[in-house]
Order: sequence, then structure tokens, then C-alpha cells
Amino acid sequence: MIKVDGSLKVRLAVWLLVTVTGLGALLMLEAHFSTRHAAERAYDSQLEAAALTIAEAVQWEAGKPIVEVPAAALPILATRNQERVFYAVLDNAGRRISSNLDLPIPPGAQARTSHHPTWRTLQHSGSGWRLYGREHDSAGWETQDPVQVWVGHTLGGRHELAATLFRQTVVRFLAMVLLAGLLMLLAMRVALTPMRRLRHLLRRRKDDDMRPLDARVPEELREMAETLDSLFTRQRASHDALLRFTADASHQLKTPLAGLQSISELALHSRNPDEWHTALVTVHEGTQRTSRLASQLLSLARLRHASDSSGFILIDLAVLLRDTVLDWAGSEAAAHHDLGLAELPHVSTNIRGEPWALCELLGNLIDNALSYTPPGSQITLGLEATGDALELYIEDNGPGVAPAVRERLLHPFERGGRQDTRGSGLGLAIVDSIARRHAARLVLTARKPCGLCVALHFLTAEQEIQDA
Amino acid sequence: MRDRLNYLLLAGLLGFALPGFAATPLVIEAALDREVVTPLLNAFSSAHPDIALTFHDRSTLEVDTLIETAEPAPDVVISSAMPWQMDRVNQHYARRLDTPRARQWPSWAKWRNEVFGFTFEPIVMAYRLDLPRHMSPPATHADLHTLLTEKQHILDGKITTYSPAQSGVGYTLFQQDARYTPRFWDLVNALGDVNVKLESNTRDMLQGLSAGRYWLGYNLLGSYAMVWAQQHPEVIVQVPQDYALVMMRMAFIHRDAPHPRAAETFLDFLLSHEGQRVLAGQTPLFSIRPDVTGPYTAQRLRDQVGDRLYPIPLNASLLAFVDPQQRHAFMARWLREIEAD
Repeated sequence: MIKVDGSLKVRLAVWLLVTVTGLGALLMLEAHFSTRHAAERAYDSQLEAAALTIAEAVQWEAGKPIVEVPAAALPILATRNQERVFYAVLDNAGRRISSNLDLPIPPGAQARTSHHPTWRTLQHSGSGWRLYGREHDSAGWETQDPVQVWVGHTLGGRHELAATLFRQTVVRFLAMVLLAGLLMLLAMRVALTPMRRLRHLLRRRKDDDMRPLDARVPEELREMAETLDSLFTRQRASHDALLRFTADASHQLKTPLAGLQSISELALHSRNPDEWHTALVTVHEGTQRTSRLASQLLSLARLRHASDSSGFILIDLAVLLRDTVLDWAGSEAAAHHDLGLAELPHVSTNIRGEPWALCELLGNLIDNALSYTPPGSQITLGLEATGDALELYIEDNGPGVAPAVRERLLHPFERGGRQDTRGSGLGLAIVDSIARRHAARLVLTARKPCGLCVALHFLTAEQEIQDA
Repeated sequence: MRDRLNYLLLAGLLGFALPGFAATPLVIEAALDREVVTPLLNAFSSAHPDIALTFHDRSTLEVDTLIETAEPAPDVVISSAMPWQMDRVNQHYARRLDTPRARQWPSWAKWRNEVFGFTFEPIVMAYRLDLPRHMSPPATHADLHTLLTEKQHILDGKITTYSPAQSGVGYTLFQQDARYTPRFWDLVNALGDVNVKLESNTRDMLQGLSAGRYWLGYNLLGSYAMVWAQQHPEVIVQVPQDYALVMMRMAFIHRDAPHPRAAETFLDFLLSHEGQRVLAGQTPLFSIRPDVTGPYTAQRLRDQVGDRLYPIPLNASLLAFVDPQQRHAFMARWLREIEAD
């Protein structure tokens, strides 16, 4: 039964989504920091420029630094985003020579600035400020002290720029994902084309067309195509076997029917009641054999086609074996043979199976042994527990079967080269079918010094449960 | 407590039902002549009868001080002393106005959406009709300088201009003049030579002109001078032909405004088509909006005067004007030049 387990497209899409989401999260994190960094750098450089412009305006007059804040420095400081601005020029003692806001400059930052330019981000009157301080060396006639120039502005523009850059990055990323998705769909269409071609090819095939595939497939589909090919081969073989079986069965039925026809015709020409009687006896025997053949054919066909195991129940194989052997031992057919039962094992011998099929199997095996061994032969049935399996065997000390023929014994209508028996040649074929139904392994071996051993390896019920 | 709550509730209900009875107060501190701006205030009051408007007309210096000291703070602050207004905004005294009109206001006439320049007032020269009888009246700054040097003896004591020390507007105008050309100092020198009389507002200058005390005034607010000239035919207004500065009144909502809603309504009205229409039609303050028509619009002024209008830029560079050292240096130079021979 074919179960549709998701679709390749969905599976690929999910994979893409998962990887893209993971990758995207990392990328966004990186973008967040890098855009912020970029915005900081862009705006910091304006602070530097403004500080430089103000520093250039510092002059000394009568031993005091004076600074006429150049108007141009302030728009630079305010930037395009119209930030609130701050500037302060401090003398060597930290006093403010000039300042537009009473924004406090951290004393630590002032001390550091005398060594190198300093950046500070701080909160003042409800908004964030970015400050930049640098020392400026300028000399007057009376004094040569350095002055510190501090500039600063609010953070709105930085945040806005960072947000804009980040948004752009996100949009680019999303566009890329979308494009990748589309490309993936396209690529899948292209990649799945050979599969579609194969599907069309299979769909176009006629019901009885079992020839190997004639298709161009990519490397990835080679295995599947080969599997399909081998499936076709096996189907062809089984189809052939079925045809052969039907032909053989028809042939097998035709021979006795032809005999019956000729006997009855002869009897019809005669006026003698004795001859009629003789003919009737022959006809009776013939129909008996033919009906037996037909019933065997029927059961074989039934066995080969039934595939469900709904009729399986728990069976004690030892009990079944003992009962069957006891039945046969008392029958007339076994009168001339030594039919015996080996000692049964004391372990659990339960298997799951169909009682009627197993009876049929044992019956066929015993009947075969009786039919194909000379009178007086010993026939022994036994059951052995070997680890997780039960081995049911039947062996005789008859003439045995040549190894070359042994393989063919399981085919229907195969009598092991013997034409001297009344058997139809279906017995072992039926046994084989029943064994397959019970997942049992059928092994034919030669017995020393002479004779044949047929062994069946069943899984015990416990083992079967374990396997499941 | 409960009684008080009930009373408040009642008042609220009444206010809702009868707007006139429980009007929201709105206090405006402005450096803007009440007479001039009355049509605008009336238009606002009739458009918003639920707001009881109180308008205080003060000097720029008073307005600037009140921003910091008034208790409670004023709701709206209007002043023509652009650098000082800008400084206060930079000190976080303004509240952002976030309305569609505020956002659409031209960017050259606002800063941070906190302070808005809503008028467009050209800076002009004005002379008395006596002047053309003796000489050809000046049309440019250079003309003025030539006139002052050549006719020094006639013009002695007859020239008036703003006092940069007493008037924020005057100081700003001179700073801007000095920014354009160093020859401005020659002009100051020449003004000193004719013993220029310094006044602290345009009105006094105009009155002096009408009274015959002065023959020529330099750097007057065109908005006042033009109206004056209409009523006093002896005064002629001359928009300088080389360049004419343009001053904007800057208005912002005080950060601690006790009635921010009403203040926002007022400022939004100032920027609205309706407000600017009144400004252009019934006051000489000149509307900035290009879609407003009337005798006093920036567009019409441009059509008349040409491209020689130079608005004082409304940006952070204004802050340099209020830098104490900058101001000190400027005033020192001013005194030096005006007292020099």
C-alpha cells in the first residue's frame, strides 16, 4: 500500500526555512551590531570635525584663552538630523571658558582627555548624549597651556541611521530568501523532470508489458530504475511460471480425461455387462485420481494467492505432529512402511499458523514419503528445538534423490524423475507454498547412507513476537 | 473630597456642553506687537472658542527670561530674537509638535519639529521724505555707506538703527550683516561718524522718522515699517536692492506648558492654511506658506523684490550668536568701530 508521506517540495521548503531562519538570526544579530557601529562611526566623525573647527578658533589674549565659536561648527555638530548640540572649551584647570549647556563632563573623562581623545555616552535631562573631548595645544605670548574642547550631540540621528541601515539589510536579506525560494522551486521542477518522465513512461506501459525499462535517467534514479527493472524481470518470471503451471495443469488433467474418454467409448461399443463393469471400475478409479489432482491444484492455487495471515492462531506443533503421525500410522497406506516418530522436545513448541494448512503440509510430506519409497522403508518424523527455531523434519532410508533433481522437486508436477507412482507431483509444491506462508525455511538434504531428509525451520511464536 | 470630585465632574460636563464656560486657558508670551497680531488671535479665538487665550506682549529679553523663570511656565513662546529662541530649544525647553502640518512645514523654517518660523519679515531701510530733497536715497548697503561718508555733515544725528546691546533682534541682524561682508564694519564706522541714534525697537525708529527727528533708519523690521508707511506718507520704505535679510518669528510650545493640548492647537493653527491666510491678509507679518494668497506673503515679496531675500538661517549656527564670548567680541568691535573717527 502506498502511503503519501509529505512532499519533497514541503520537505525541502522546511529545510530551507529552518536553515534560513537560523542563518538569518545570526545574520540579523551581526547586522544589528555592524549597522550600529557604522552609524556611530559616521556621526562620531562629525563630532571630530566640529571639535577640530572649534579648536582652531581658540586664541590667546592677555594670558587668557578666548574662543569665538565658529558658526559653521554648530551645524556640523547638529548634523542633518538636527541634534541638540553641546560644546565647551575648558582651560588647563578644568574651568569652562565657553559653553552653551551645563551638561556635566565626567572628571575622569577630563583627566583621560589630556592623554588622548575621549568618547563618552551619557544621559542628561532625559536624553542620551554622545560627547567627544580632545586636547588642543595652542600657545599665546604669555601662556602656553593646552585647552580641552568638548563637543556633543543627542543620539536621535545615530539611532535613526542605524535603524535605516538595519532595515535595509533586513529587506535585502528577505529579498534574497524569496529569490532563493523561487530558485529552489524552479530547480526542483528541473530536477524532478526525469522522475516525471519515468512516471509517464510507466503510465504508458501496457498491462502485459514486462520488458525492461527503456529510459534515460540521472545517476540518482539509476538504483530505482534498476529495481524497477528487476521487479519487471521477476514479474515476468512469475508470469511465465503461472502460464507454465496452467499449461502443465491442463496437460495433467487432459491425460486422465482422455483415458476416461477412450475407456468409456470402448465400453459403449460393447454389449457385455462384464466389460461395462470393468470399464466402470477403471472410470471410477480415474475420476478419483483426477478429482484428487483437481483438489490439489485448487489448494495450491489457493495457497499461492492467499496472502493475509488473519486465520493464524497459536498451535502446538508437537501435538499436531503426534496426532497426524498417529492418524497416518493406523491408515492402510502406511501398512507396508515403518512410520515412526522421534522423541519430541520438552520445550515450548508453539508457533503461529493455520491448522488446516499445517495438516495439509504434514499429510503431503508423509504421503510423498510413502509413495516414493519402497515398501518396508523406515520413515521418521521429528521435531527439534534449535535455539530460536523449531526444526520439523521427515526422513526416510529410501533411494533418495539426485542433487541435480532435488532443486526442481519443489516445482509443480515434478516427480523426481519417477513415473512409477500414482502421485501428481504437486505434493512438495504445496508444502513449499505452505512453508512460505508460515515464513518457514524448507531444506532438502540427502541422508546418510541413503534416503532424503526434508526439514522445515519454523520460528517459535515467542521469537516471532520478538522479531515484530 | 467626594464633593470636590463631583464639582470637578460637573465642571467637566459643563465644559463639554458649554465650551465658553469652562474654556482651557492658554498663556502666550510673545515678542510681537499685540496690535499687529490681533486679527490672528481673533481668528484663533473664533475657531477655538473653548480656549481662553491670554497674550502677553513683551520685549525679546523679557520673553527669554520668562522661559526659564515663569511659574507656571507659559504655554507658547513667540519671539523674534532668533538665536535666543534657538538656544532655549537647544536647552530642551521646547516640546515637539507632531502634527501633519508641522511635519509638512518647510524644513528651512523649523528645527527638530520643536520650533517653527512662521513669519517672513524683510529687513528694510526707511527714510523720511526730507531725504530725497537733499540727496538720492540709498537703495543698497553700499549706497548707504557712500551717503553716510559723503553727506556726513547733513546727516549728522539724523540716522537711527537698532541698538545691538538693548535689542536681540538688532544684534542678530548686525551679526548676520557682519557675516556677509567685512565692509559692514566700514558702515558701522560711518554710522558712528554721523552719531547714529540707537533705538531698541522698530516702532521708536518709525516714530522718530515721522516726528522728523530722523531722516533715515537702517535695519527696520519691514513688517512694521510697511504698515507705518501706509499710514504715514512722509515715510518711505526701501527694501535693500543688494540683499535684504529676512527675519522669522519663532514659536515653540514650552516643555512645561500647563496646557499642552491648547498650546498644540494654537501652534498648529499658526501653521495652518487658515492661520497663515489671516497672517497674509490682515497682518503685515508675511506668510511662509506658498499656497496662501494675500498682500503679505513670502511669495509675493519675492515677486516684488526678486531673489535678493536672505532669510537668517534657522539652524544650529544661530547658537553661535548667543555664545557669550562671541557676543562680547562682537560688541567690543561694534563699540570700537562706532567710536572710531
